[in-house]
Amino acid sequence: MKNKTFQSLTNPLAKNNPVLVQILGICSALAVTTQLKPALVMGLSVTAVCAFSNLVLSLLRNGIPDRIRIIVQLVVIAALVTIVNDILKAYVYDVSKQLSVYVGLIITNCIIMGRVEAFALSNKPLPSLLDGIGNGLGYGAVLVIIGFVRELFGNGSLFGYQIIPECFYEAGYVNNGLMLFPPAALIIVGIIIWVHRTTNKDLQEK
Amino acid sequence: MGKKKFLGGKNSNAYIVFYSTVMVVIVAILLAFTSLSLKEKQNANELNEKKDAIAASLGLGKGSYDSVIEAYVVNKEGQVISTTDTPLQKLFDLTGSFAKGEFPVFENKSTGEIVFPLTGKGLWDDIWGYVALEADLNTIKGAIFDHAGETPGLGAEIATAKYQAQFPGQTIYEGDQLVGIYVVKGGAQGAAHSVDAVTGGTKTSEGLQKMIKECLDNYDAFLKARKANVVTENAE
Repeated sequence: MKNKTFQSLTNPLAKNNPVLVQILGICSALAVTTQLKPALVMGLSVTAVCAFSNLVLSLLRNGIPDRIRIIVQLVVIAALVTIVNDILKAYVYDVSKQLSVYVGLIITNCIIMGRVEAFALSNKPLPSLLDGIGNGLGYGAVLVIIGFVRELFGNGSLFGYQIIPECFYEAGYVNNGLMLFPPAALIIVGIIIWVHRTTNKDLQEK
Repeated sequence: MGKKKFLGGKNSNAYIVFYSTVMVVIVAILLAFTSLSLKEKQNANELNEKKDAIAASLGLGKGSYDSVIEAYVVNKEGQVISTTDTPLQKLFDLTGSFAKGEFPVFENKSTGEIVFPLTGKGLWDDIWGYVALEADLNTIKGAIFDHAGETPGLGAEIATAKYQAQFPGQTIYEGDQLVGIYVVKGGAQGAAHSVDAVTGGTKTSEGLQKMIKECLDNYDAFLKARKANVVTENAE
């Protein structure tokens, strides 16, 4: 039993990663990953929202009327996202400006509602909370990988600090402009999925 | 079982109405509470951003606003009507304060350079910015623009440093006439008072030109009065 609870945290990190296996949340994975910092903040914000929405709705699960189930989920998720947005605006203003509409769009991020429907409504609060954290971190991890590659090769920097030394540029090195466009994120996601499936043979479709 | 169910059970209409009412009230209280408790901090952040934008239009670094800028409000005739009623606050509703005939001015105390706030409409939503004039009150020292929702890569280019770099050195007066800056489609090619329009951002460019002209018009009297002053001071 203990082991099973723990698995709801670790599973989504690799074997059942929301982006790589469930193919959820791709939209925002393309939008906020041109730089590492917003990718990281977005990952943490989704983790917070996903964890708390799972926890709250799992606690409420026995009282929620079936007929307005989806509405209740949306209200809880929307309220949490609004709170996260307010907190970002108050404490990391420049990042919240960069994320702009994508914070609001966490509400429609399929990972969150997907996990609530698939997991929280039929499981106890603790495993639901862990499932939320796991899925949020699994999503965040992919975002950070994409953000890392895109910022490093697109801008030559990480977290805004120049990494690729000036002498490289003088020797003729150029930043890859494609990395700054959304298609680059899609290509990187594709490569990550490829690597992921190669190492997890049981995920491969026959 | 035999236990009487609350409002006739989980799936009765009465229960659903009760449930949603309670839920909405709780959520409303929660959101109102967070919003109110964080408001002050959020406003401070926005105010800092505006201060930094004003400083940036003068080519100064972040955080230099407080030590450098003297702010006041003038009326349509160019007289200073207020120095106390914080001009910065007017930036939160610039359209409103322009309509009331209150025009905030930000002056670099040591150099006499002046920054004017601008507000207007782009293609989709509001655009705004700051224009800094040299002490001759004619040449642009720097310009900063920002937007709420112009198309990325097209109209949104007005917010890039590359686009704004066209503005320094341009003049806004033709003789005695305030002409503003022409945003020319197809390229300014060195014409006076002109910059290139944004490629693929015609409506945004038109909005930008209109914004610069209309907002600076409000300060025409102020600028002329001040120039006259400068001339007489020099003559003495």
